[in-house]
Amino acid sequence: MTSAVQGRGLEKSFVKKRSARDLLRLRFRRAERVHALRGVDLDVREGEIFGLLGPNGAGKTTLLKILSCLILPDRGSAVVGGEDTVHESRVKPKIGLVHSDERSFYWRLSGVENLRFFARLYDVPRSRSEARIGELLGRVDLLEASDRRFSDYSSGMKQRLAIARALLHDPPILLMDEPTRSLDPASAKSLRAFIADELRGKDGKTILLATHNLHEAEALCDRVAILVRGKVRQVGAVAEIKKWGMTERRFRLEASHWPLELGGPFRKVGDEGADGMRRVIVSLADGASLDDLLRAVLSAGVRLTSCEPVESDLEEAFSRILSAEEGRDA
Amino acid sequence: MTRNIGKLLAFLKRDFLSEVSYRLAFFFGIAGILFTVSTFYFFSKMISPDTAGLNGIDPFAWLLVGLAFQYYFTAALFSFSAKIRNEQLLGTLEAMLVSPTPTSVVIFSSAAWDFTYGAIRVLAYLAFAKLVFGVTLHTRSLGTLALGLALTLLSSAGLGILSASFILYFKRADPITFFLSALTTLFGTVFFPVEKLPEWSRWVSDCLPVTSSLAIVRGALLQGRPFSDLSGHLLRLTVMTAILLPLGLALSRVAIRKAKREGTLVQY
Repeated sequence: MTSAVQGRGLEKSFVKKRSARDLLRLRFRRAERVHALRGVDLDVREGEIFGLLGPNGAGKTTLLKILSCLILPDRGSAVVGGEDTVHESRVKPKIGLVHSDERSFYWRLSGVENLRFFARLYDVPRSRSEARIGELLGRVDLLEASDRRFSDYSSGMKQRLAIARALLHDPPILLMDEPTRSLDPASAKSLRAFIADELRGKDGKTILLATHNLHEAEALCDRVAILVRGKVRQVGAVAEIKKWGMTERRFRLEASHWPLELGGPFRKVGDEGADGMRRVIVSLADGASLDDLLRAVLSAGVRLTSCEPVESDLEEAFSRILSAEEGRDA
Repeated sequence: MTRNIGKLLAFLKRDFLSEVSYRLAFFFGIAGILFTVSTFYFFSKMISPDTAGLNGIDPFAWLLVGLAFQYYFTAALFSFSAKIRNEQLLGTLEAMLVSPTPTSVVIFSSAAWDFTYGAIRVLAYLAFAKLVFGVTLHTRSLGTLALGLALTLLSSAGLGILSASFILYFKRADPITFFLSALTTLFGTVFFPVEKLPEWSRWVSDCLPVTSSLAIVRGALLQGRPFSDLSGHLLRLTVMTAILLPLGLALSRVAIRKAKREGTLVQY
């Protein structure tokens, strides 16, 4: 499959801001630099939703800014839609950037006036712009509120308008920087559905989604890259990433009562009760099998109603990757 | 080219809509001109018409042109940098720069409304002066006046873009705007003729585009002097424009590139 976005050895550092006191005290010392990206390689396939995950300060926004030609990398190269980002006039028509920043519109103008302004900047032909704006406002459910001032919009409406703006010129690639950051759970859920069903499903857009919301990434992304301190630590399908670093298998056993204390290769890692049933999660050490566990449980007189494997979720995998990163530093 | 003109018009429309959304401020701004013109009318009564450097022009008319155009020069100096800074603070600069519009067009068009509004104010000053205070405005040298105004616009834009380049890179502490604004008021023959300055300092006045601009406007509009009489000032303004505009554009390109490399383009 063709790459829609490709990064090779991307590096970027910024001068660390100094206090006025430091500027006076250390005026002859070279300014310290903060390394935001340290040799990032990335391949986003056409038509996929690719998640860029990482804690705050991992370099996600810096990477998006390089891909949208807003900043230049110190080293390495980026190709977006088949064009090197050094040729920004060829790259920009192919991308739409959805900011997490609510401030990126003119607050005293209405939603439709904002879109009319940006439609000119995005080279949407005048003859088509009104129809296009109307269509997009309809798709993001803002048609009725289109004449209201942007300042009167809710956070969810502002974010939907940001998506409409990014779609004005119908770019094949969307770069989304934490699009649900300031939304309430219901609005965030509805926006995620829009991204999956409309943008990827109907429009077939390639979406690079930077987020630190792991549930969002798990729900939306085909593949993810885990970015930690400017380096891609893991990349792959969500199911693969979830298994990363898992040294034990886990099973959820359901029974009406659980008198048993487990030992040896078995460790109880979860226990919850509901509807008169106990659901116990047991972890198996290396070498132990499910047969051994079932034998131990049944011989203790426990009457099981179900037994199923428990998969690690992305959050746990993410924690393991971060722990491994800290271990590497130590 | 047509595409960029369409974009420039979009910026004008955007700023017009924002401006008229503060309806009272917009109309008070224009109405305030009448009070300023009246104040200067009575102020000018203290000035002798024989004052050296007025060249036979009525003191009120002489002051009026300085006053009307000072706003315009100040707008030219401040508007590029102020608009860019404002867009950085609003968070809209990033949204504009990620569009296929060249950064230079964004910078240039951002200030279009301030130039237009400045021109409207100049016209309002002149209209009040003519209709209320009976100042005589000559129309014999409109061609010379138009050429002078075009050169004024371009040289001011050159300075303004230089100033915006500082903002793009340093984010604040724009020395060009500070010095030129102060120099324009003191040495630019806005409020008093250069003859009132100490002789040793008059060369500063000659180096400022505003001095030649005002000499052309006063000569053409208040005295109806022909092109040949004002050619010296026109030539000087042409040379300054030929230096300042390309310098401003070149430095803005360097500033944009450097800001992109440093990652400070959209920071505030």
